[in-house]
Amino acid sequence: MKKISIRHIATVALSILCMIAVLVTVNGCTVSQKVAMKSGAQLWAENCQRCHNTPSPNTFSHDQWETIGMHMQTRALLNEEEKRKIVEFLKQ
Amino acid sequence: MRKFNKLLKVTVCLLLCISLQIRLKAQQTVVDSSVLDRIAELEKQAADRKPGQDHFMVVGLATFGFVANKTTITGSGVTKTNSLADADHYEFSPMLLWRHGTKFLLEFEPSFDGNQIGVNWANISWFATPGLIVHAGYFVLPFGSYNKRLAAGWIDKLPTDPAGVADLPPASDFGIGISGGFPLGSMKWSYDISLTNGFQLLPDGEIQNAGIVDNNKNKTLTGRFSLLPFSNSSLEIGVSGLFGKVGDDNTAFQNVKTNMYAVDVNYVKLLNPILVNFKGQYNWIDIDKQTYMDASSNPYTFDNKTNSGFAQLSLRPSGSANKVVKNLEAAFRIGNYNTPKASLWGQNATITEFGLLYWLNWRTVFKVGYTLNNSNSTTLGSEGIGTKSNSFIAQFSIQL
Repeated sequence: MKKISIRHIATVALSILCMIAVLVTVNGCTVSQKVAMKSGAQLWAENCQRCHNTPSPNTFSHDQWETIGMHMQTRALLNEEEKRKIVEFLKQ
Repeated sequence: MRKFNKLLKVTVCLLLCISLQIRLKAQQTVVDSSVLDRIAELEKQAADRKPGQDHFMVVGLATFGFVANKTTITGSGVTKTNSLADADHYEFSPMLLWRHGTKFLLEFEPSFDGNQIGVNWANISWFATPGLIVHAGYFVLPFGSYNKRLAAGWIDKLPTDPAGVADLPPASDFGIGISGGFPLGSMKWSYDISLTNGFQLLPDGEIQNAGIVDNNKNKTLTGRFSLLPFSNSSLEIGVSGLFGKVGDDNTAFQNVKTNMYAVDVNYVKLLNPILVNFKGQYNWIDIDKQTYMDASSNPYTFDNKTNSGFAQLSLRPSGSANKVVKNLEAAFRIGNYNTPKASLWGQNATITEFGLLYWLNWRTVFKVGYTLNNSNSTTLGSEGIGTKSNSFIAQFSIQL
């Protein structure tokens, strides 16, 4: 029983350590100028086709693109700037 | 008298003109007033309209097909079947997305596969800060990339799921998790970590979802880290791990644990005019060795190790000027699925698949595929029995 508790604690501790590592890393991650200069259209072409065909901007309304942008962020783990630029492009 | 008549005519004409002028003027005033009223009404409506914080929408997918199959089992003969759809190739899954402001998103996807209505995921995500999404509920486990990104019929290049990858380990589970993506110079990386109820060991050594009520006090840790080393995001390499106990509390299996690992790779690049698309994943599943009981209550044991994987290449001449040719895509996949030797479900299978796709638009596809599945039984007492299964599949898939 004691062994189970130690494993339980170790799992939770590992999870917390992972969270801390992630949060610490957030501030350490920088983006190169080459990547930062990319347009929404370029990011749309590069990232969407990693899994599926690139969607037509006319497919959804502005509100719908905002919602789908959040959904895709959970799926493809796009970073915040990529998501913002792609959604802005699709809303044009 | 003639002069008087002429004068009278001129006077009448003048009066008519004046009358007409007055009438037109009056009409003009009425029209102007109506337009102004309408404009005022629209202005009021615009002022009253609030964009609101919530947005609800329904998307989803539907897949329908025809399957003709011929299976030959050593010593048992040949069976032939065909049907307009079956559980592997039919799916109707509306997906409900409910956004609350810019911080919360609810995702719910029920799914009918021809036999039953299930749920693929039902979870809430909190977009806490850039690079940190916290999610809770019933969600797809971050193990490999296939289940979370590639399994949808309108995304998958072939009509079938790769055996032993889409369903092992079980795709979704109850729990909490965090995920996010970050730039790293000209590269990118992402993480996806979850803590869930985990799986339950069955009496024959297989596993299934423990469900919403956990079968033990242990929680299962699953994580995937990925790196996109090129600035154009063409290549992604992911590594995953899953660790947890699978045995029921207060049983002989209570200390049984599992360790699972996966690697996945995704490469998509336009080498004009051909769009090259390579995807692959390999899973290793290791469950602690145990002694089980067969149907006659005789003990038996085996190394509970399963491995499965696939490599898939598809080519699409998307840079072609011809409208028909640019919408064609050819796909090939080879898969491998090995379950434990001397178990009651042991087999070594090699699955080869060919497919030809025609894209009606970016999210609607018609596929024809041919699948060859050669397997040899390693099941306790049935070792060496071979099974050859050939299937022709035609499938239509759409994202809505």
